[in-house]
Amino acid sequence: MFRTNFFTIALVTICPIAAAQAADLTEKEFRRLHAELQPSKDALWRTVPWKTSVLDAQQIAAKQNKPLFIWAMDGHPLGCT
Amino acid sequence: MPVAIDQWYQRRQKDAEGDFYRQIASQGPRHNFENGTTQGLYMASADGTSLGYTNNRTPERVKEMLQQAMLQFRPAATAQINIEREDPRYNLAPPAGGLIVRVQARVMGGYEETEDAMKQIFQTALSRDNLWVSRAEHTSLAAGRFPKSLAHRIARFHLVDNTRGEPPMWRDSEIATSSFEINGTVVKGHAELSTASGDRRYSVDLLGELQTEAGKVIAWNMVASGKFAGDGRYTRGAPPGEFPLAISFTLADGNDIADAIPPQGSRGWLKGYLP
Repeated sequence: MFRTNFFTIALVTICPIAAAQAADLTEKEFRRLHAELQPSKDALWRTVPWKTSVLDAQQIAAKQNKPLFIWAMDGHPLGCT
Repeated sequence: MPVAIDQWYQRRQKDAEGDFYRQIASQGPRHNFENGTTQGLYMASADGTSLGYTNNRTPERVKEMLQQAMLQFRPAATAQINIEREDPRYNLAPPAGGLIVRVQARVMGGYEETEDAMKQIFQTALSRDNLWVSRAEHTSLAAGRFPKSLAHRIARFHLVDNTRGEPPMWRDSEIATSSFEINGTVVKGHAELSTASGDRRYSVDLLGELQTEAGKVIAWNMVASGKFAGDGRYTRGAPPGEFPLAISFTLADGNDIADAIPPQGSRGWLKGYLP
């Protein structure tokens, strides 16, 4: 919601940035790329309620009588790639 | 109960979380906690009993492991492990009064077509890392000045191709240029990065907008776009020659669980990342 509001406001009231564009990066390209480089809300793995602390997960698993599923990588699975 | 971790931390931590993780991992095939990775997918009971492990990430193998683990799982009363002390070396907190910025990269073209499903995933991947900004740098940004320390950190640790795995960060000596400026709400920059041999390099322009209110940054959207070449030990398979790499920067709002993850560049070296 915040991002949507900001872009709406920015498009209307913030000074145009085209004049100050970097060499090969126009305002239009900046906006297109920024929108494109956002994660899909529909990605299934993002709908999983991940914890990032093993002990937080252990406490909930113990309380709810559930097993733990640990996705352990080199580099954080929710970051890096 | 799903949990996602960079096991580089947990296999080293000298605290209850590290002990519990190593208890589980030691029942699998990877338990060289000092020098070897323990990466993979684990299923375990809340008392630390292993129920399954695989490092194969194809859907069929993961599903098979999960199903086998659930057949073994027997719900039982288990004590919760209290967090009495955290190993401060491996529990990093973002800088007080600073900013967290989401950084996401994608290779925009140049790959040869492939029928390999795993390669297709990597070739279209959108990476994710976090940029940490210190309180002093935040104050400077809000006053319309782009700090040199921040320009250097962005260049060194965040203008990287991390779409296929853990990337090599740039060395100080590999940053030929990293300049940013703020003009009103506009942020623009340019960086020239290259290894000595030139086998890995990135020539990139940056453009964005930054909004402030009452001495604080309340919005910051920015994009880096340029030509990248080369790869690293854990990011093999880059397109041949130069290819377009674009990176977005978005001020985090704390609503994404990944906002809490420390920057990859700070791992084991917070003082180097954020002096």
